[in-house]
Amino acid sequence: MKNEKKVDYKKDKKRLDGRKMDELRPIKIDVGVIPNADGSAYLEWGQNKVYAAVYGPREALPKHSADPLKAVVKVEYRMTSFSVPQRKRPGPNRRDQEISKVLGEALAKTIFVEQFPNTEIGVYVEVVDSNAGSRVACLTAASCALADAGIPMRDMVSATGIGKAFNELVVDLNKDEEDAPDAVDIPIGILPNSEEIVLLQLDGLLTIKEWEQVSKMGVKSCKNVYEIQKQALKKKFELGDAGKKIVELKEDKTVKKKVKK
Amino acid sequence: MKQVVIPGELLSEERKKLGTNVYVFDGKIYSRVLGITDNEKEMAEVVALQGMYIPKREDTVVGIVNRVVFAGYGIDINSFADSFIPKKIMRNELKLGDIIIAKVENVNELKEADLSFPRKMGGGEVIEIIPVRSPRLIGKNGSMLDVLTNGTSCEIFIGKNGRVWARDGNITLLKKAVQFIEENSYKDNLTNAVEELLKEKK
Repeated sequence: MKNEKKVDYKKDKKRLDGRKMDELRPIKIDVGVIPNADGSAYLEWGQNKVYAAVYGPREALPKHSADPLKAVVKVEYRMTSFSVPQRKRPGPNRRDQEISKVLGEALAKTIFVEQFPNTEIGVYVEVVDSNAGSRVACLTAASCALADAGIPMRDMVSATGIGKAFNELVVDLNKDEEDAPDAVDIPIGILPNSEEIVLLQLDGLLTIKEWEQVSKMGVKSCKNVYEIQKQALKKKFELGDAGKKIVELKEDKTVKKKVKK
Repeated sequence: MKQVVIPGELLSEERKKLGTNVYVFDGKIYSRVLGITDNEKEMAEVVALQGMYIPKREDTVVGIVNRVVFAGYGIDINSFADSFIPKKIMRNELKLGDIIIAKVENVNELKEADLSFPRKMGGGEVIEIIPVRSPRLIGKNGSMLDVLTNGTSCEIFIGKNGRVWARDGNITLLKKAVQFIEENSYKDNLTNAVEELLKEKK
């Protein structure tokens, strides 16, 4: 960055990767990708690639971790060793533990935990490729996986990164923006219906005016993420006539026979 | 009109009778699970598409013995807690892996089920499906069950916990039919489609 000319988003009116200030990176979600899990999701968010799998509710082990009044949400956030430019040591480190805890608390807010006393809900999120904003991507993927597992929830959790880079407020920062000299990165997760905030972390300094402005941008783009989640979950189930499927099967057979001849 | 809803999706802003899988927040009715709803119905309810078995009173379940102790047997009923049957109420002895059919007599606050009227099933196989989709295997007034029994000439028992026990007859065909029902459980006109499928494969 030193050799390049000074970047200033206020002058340029455009970001380094050509996005608008309140534009998200392209998001793609697939649901039900891991057959052995109760629910699962695969998410691509720009360069971020994340798998999420949900198991349970099941018996809480070790036994002392069980709560007789509610289910315990156990999240394991893990980065693969090849997910970052320089190899990451594969064991869980301080950052992984912190993110696991924060994500678990955010998800427990939306699940009806009191319905499953003495159990645990295991959520495993694995980052395969990362480029800033992986915890936000994980939270979005995990809530899709929970819905896919059929666990009763108040609402989905939708999340984005918001913040400040190169002298301008932006949404969904990428790695270059996160490394900017004046960068402020705020992962935010909300329940879209009630706009209740379930995840909020702040690294840097913002004025109150800037925060008010950027939080509004955040809620707006979280709702855009919600629409993508909705589509991804509904895509799997196409209502219609079951008889059609049989007709399709029959047609397939005739095609195969012709090829054989 | 029938439509697919996701958790937290608005079902109705008016007051309605509350059915399964819904909750009220701020006077509005929302869905709790991924499922199907019919907004023309009088009652606001969602039929779940995914999910595990949660024991309820009066359910009949297919269980598998997974623990034998001096006083009785531990039974896996596909829920998150195992059930227990004392030896006293069993007429014959059970071994590990035996299949039984029982009724849920009572469910406590930890969602653990007490079983009654246990019956040991001799032989047969167990087919597993997603528990919330098992009502589709029975159909209205048992119409689908009739189609399955006539089509495959199997002796079939369907548990509410997503397990189907079957003996004799064409079990491979039954497995195919059950899998078809599981995959298309949310579609219309399923009974006719299955009838056609069984006719085709016979």
